[in-house]
Amino acid sequence: MPAVLKWVLVLVVLVGVGWLLWWSGWFKSASYSASTQGNAAGAVAATTTQAASAAPAPLNGMSVASDSSDPAIGQDTAAVDAQMQALDADGSQVTASLNDKPVAQSY
Amino acid sequence: MTTYKTGTRIAFGLVGMLLVPTLAFAAATTTPAGASKAAAKMTAAKARADQEIDRRVATLNEVTDRVGVMQEVQADFKQNLAGAVSGQVAAFAALKAKIDAETDPTLLKSEVQSINESYRVYALLVPQARIATAADRVVTLTRMMTILGSKLQARIAAAQTAGTDISALSKTLGDLSQKLSDANAQAQSAVSVSVSLVPDEGDKVKMAANAAALKTAHTAVGVAQKDLKDSRKDIATILKGLNVSLSAASSTPTITPGSATASTTTAH
Repeated sequence: MPAVLKWVLVLVVLVGVGWLLWWSGWFKSASYSASTQGNAAGAVAATTTQAASAAPAPLNGMSVASDSSDPAIGQDTAAVDAQMQALDADGSQVTASLNDKPVAQSY
Repeated sequence: MTTYKTGTRIAFGLVGMLLVPTLAFAAATTTPAGASKAAAKMTAAKARADQEIDRRVATLNEVTDRVGVMQEVQADFKQNLAGAVSGQVAAFAALKAKIDAETDPTLLKSEVQSINESYRVYALLVPQARIATAADRVVTLTRMMTILGSKLQARIAAAQTAGTDISALSKTLGDLSQKLSDANAQAQSAVSVSVSLVPDEGDKVKMAANAAALKTAHTAVGVAQKDLKDSRKDIATILKGLNVSLSAASSTPTITPGSATASTTTAH
């Protein structure tokens, strides 16, 4: 058998094997696996980010949510009182806006 | 026929010569005086118009600052509210520029009248925004007090473990929870009512509906404020019962309206 014909047969066999593998889904599984790993890495990163942002940040001058010591409660109370004062101002502005009168215009 | 001596005729002639320019001058000054009066009237009208426009823009700018630091509302609600306010500011700026540059009395009259007409929109937008910002702060306060309440609950549990009778403190804590829940509900209600406002365009039925809605929302904000004040009293009662030292409270932070540290309100 000529050497050229042997190489052609080898090539045909390789192509056939490759087609069978693709047809059976092996390549898909491999590529899915790779992409899944990529997504998993992304998911881990996202989870880490969420975990970091989910850490309860002190709200408007309050102390850390997990701290129930006297100083922390004192700090929280002060922060609440400041917001209460601001709410009084907000309430007054609501009332003022409802009682607003325009400057009379004439010509 | 009356006859005059030559000297007399000359005298009349001289007087006549003197009077003609005088009368002519008087006639000439009648129009400038009228024009000056009209100009003064226009200037006064423009001053009144500018005063009212400046007043409204100043209020709207305050509202813009306050809306910008709202913490609890949904982003689209906040964006829509800020957009409506900035739209009004732009409209007033354009109107003011037009009025200030106006030279036609008829057009000026129309432009001045448009200030009165635009008041209906302004008179709805500002209360709506004020109610939203107040409600936003109510919700922020309920969050803050809820966090504080959790800490107090932990302290009460610790006191119970140590053998303290906590029945009264637990009851007060329960009242605190109810008050905070109601304050939150009132804030939600206030905002929900205020967003139902529609420009009346002179329609008296719509005007009445808007007025009723604003009154309802105003009442809800007031109830929420009272709930929060009662909640603060509950907190004080619990702190006293637990003998908590509030030394840190001496450094009470101050809040400037519109600043980033001033805050909070409502989810819808």
